[in-house]
Amino acid sequence: MRRIKLLFLGFLGSLVTVSAQSNLTYELHVGTTGENTVLANFPESYAGEKINIKVSVESVTFSELDFIFSNSQHPIANSPSFDSIYSYTDEIGTFWTVWRSNKEIKNRGQRVMVQNAYKTFEEYVRTHTAVAKRSTGWIWFVFAGLLLIAGIVYACVIIYQRRQEKLLTPVEQETLRRKRMGLRRHYGSQLYLWLLLLVLYAPIALIAVFSFTKSKILGNWTGFSFDLYVNLFTGKADAGLNSAIWYTVVIALIAAVVSTILGTLAAIGIYNMRARQRKMVSLLNSVPMINPDIITGISLFLLFVALGVSQGLATVCIAHVVFCTPYVVLSVLPRLSRMNPNTYEAALDLGATPAQALRMVMLPELWPGMLSGFILALTLSVDDFGVTFFTKGSGGLETLSTFIYSDARKGGLTPELRPLFTIILLVMLSVLIYINIRKSKQEEK
Amino acid sequence: MSKVVQIFSSRRTWAWPYIAFMAMFVVLPLVLVAVYALTDINGDFTLRNFAKFFTHSEAIQTFIYSLVIAVFNTAICLLIGYPAAYIMAQEDFKTPKVMAMLFILPMWINFLLRTVATVELFNMCGLPLGEGALLFGLCYDYLPFMIYPIYNTLQKMDNSLVEAAQDLGANRWTCFWKVIVPLSMPGVYSGIVMVFMPTVSTFAIAELLTHNNIKLFGSLIQDYITTTDLLNYGAVLSLVLLIIIAMTSFFGDHDDKEEGGLV
Repeated sequence: MRRIKLLFLGFLGSLVTVSAQSNLTYELHVGTTGENTVLANFPESYAGEKINIKVSVESVTFSELDFIFSNSQHPIANSPSFDSIYSYTDEIGTFWTVWRSNKEIKNRGQRVMVQNAYKTFEEYVRTHTAVAKRSTGWIWFVFAGLLLIAGIVYACVIIYQRRQEKLLTPVEQETLRRKRMGLRRHYGSQLYLWLLLLVLYAPIALIAVFSFTKSKILGNWTGFSFDLYVNLFTGKADAGLNSAIWYTVVIALIAAVVSTILGTLAAIGIYNMRARQRKMVSLLNSVPMINPDIITGISLFLLFVALGVSQGLATVCIAHVVFCTPYVVLSVLPRLSRMNPNTYEAALDLGATPAQALRMVMLPELWPGMLSGFILALTLSVDDFGVTFFTKGSGGLETLSTFIYSDARKGGLTPELRPLFTIILLVMLSVLIYINIRKSKQEEK
Repeated sequence: MSKVVQIFSSRRTWAWPYIAFMAMFVVLPLVLVAVYALTDINGDFTLRNFAKFFTHSEAIQTFIYSLVIAVFNTAICLLIGYPAAYIMAQEDFKTPKVMAMLFILPMWINFLLRTVATVELFNMCGLPLGEGALLFGLCYDYLPFMIYPIYNTLQKMDNSLVEAAQDLGANRWTCFWKVIVPLSMPGVYSGIVMVFMPTVSTFAIAELLTHNNIKLFGSLIQDYITTTDLLNYGAVLSLVLLIIIAMTSFFGDHDDKEEGGLV
């Protein structure tokens, strides 16, 4: 168990080392534009490296642009190629096309050119960044090395054990064999789980590790720094990110409060219904839970279009209440079935108004369910992308999810997102650890 | 006034605001999807949108491709997730709560951000983006949804049944296939539904993981629904997806009764 944990830590460590070594990033801007534009002349030391090139161009159809990899001796040595093309529309509504290429620099002094067959480049190119990234393909050697070392150590241990065993009696050998089988099964299953967790956490570790460097590109280490954290807290981050954070918080709070109130009242109502009515309402309640995001989003989008409502903060809040409330209902109902149904009526008989009875009799019994419903609603709302995407309208309202989406489609991430989510992860981790510790202490008592 | 008090003292009526809200924002919108699918841009009744779907080879191909991807992803999640859930539910496993916690924790990081980080990880390791990356990313995002329900049913399972099978001479393998697997089927069903439904309707992840080179049905719907002229055709595609979802949730209905649904 401890050994596997060490291995896990070792992996994280090697990740840091690898990234620390891969800081040879070239961000080259196109100097001249013309029919054949040279994007980058790579220094000699780059021979044998892989490069990652990205060119964004405003509204050009695909066939008009191409990468050409060549060197000074052979002007057009390699056939023109790019690995992927994608396009997106930015906030102003301009259509961009992005070419990406991942090629190996074969010769010394190789150049990368962008060729445009039809028109002069000047007309199109607005931003033109070529990012040459040092290859990190040798991360595999680190993996292989670790595996090899682990394998050798394991083999040595086994050989040593076998030798010792030969000195024992057959009966002792048999019991040892049994014990070893059990141990092997135990460690095997542990290893399986920790390997799964390793894969699950690798991208997150990447975010966390790279939140401590200034670089704009994820995966590019430019020295240790707290700058991103400072930017995040002093509001120096991208204005879009700041407003996205605020909108996310505001929408989540509104949606959670409204759905908790609506859901609690509904739960009390449903609990007091007759069986058939209850069945119908419970069916209705489960519809938003079964519906995938995209269907909920699209159907609400169509409703707002049909009603002619302009979409914005209000429509997003309504949409979030729609998919949060069923969960509140489901978390309040079990509390209701656990409480004595007569206490409320007793309060009424003793002269309390329904409002008083609700406040003084029902609420104290229900609040744990309401609280868990509230927290669930908060989480669902913060995490939602699909529904928000279709109901946010085009007024520039962005929550964190949609902000990340539009950011990622442009091929880059606002760097301050990295510290933000590192903090969220750490907060969630400490909350969960705290809850676990408290629970185990209660169990001890 | 006293009449109002009387109405609200019957607690049944407290659900009315919720029912009205749901009718307005859940039922009506779903009806509207069908209405939009059956009308043209001027609001006249037409079946042309449906006809277009059946002759639109791109839509049909994307649809089938998405189904295949979703089936593959569900199968992979099941293959990876079942052993994990099984190990965690073993009696001699000492820290199931911590392990379960570790498996859910990544879900608090925005899934789009995790996807972008996955893309960067693939770039770092020099792996190409494409179908493999897509399956990896989908599996990565939905694996906890598979592990959790299976773990729950396995944990609730009556262990004396397993012991009885062992006493009657079943070896580990027979015991696993004839006792444990059948008993864990409710969890497997709900795991399948919880992974299959979001995968078949996913629309943002695929774009990021393949640099827009592979289009899934969700992205296709998104393209059409956000184009004003083609909104009605987008509604048809949504309706098709809705039918698939309805069929899947019907398949997963088996275990709902055991869980009790409401109350």
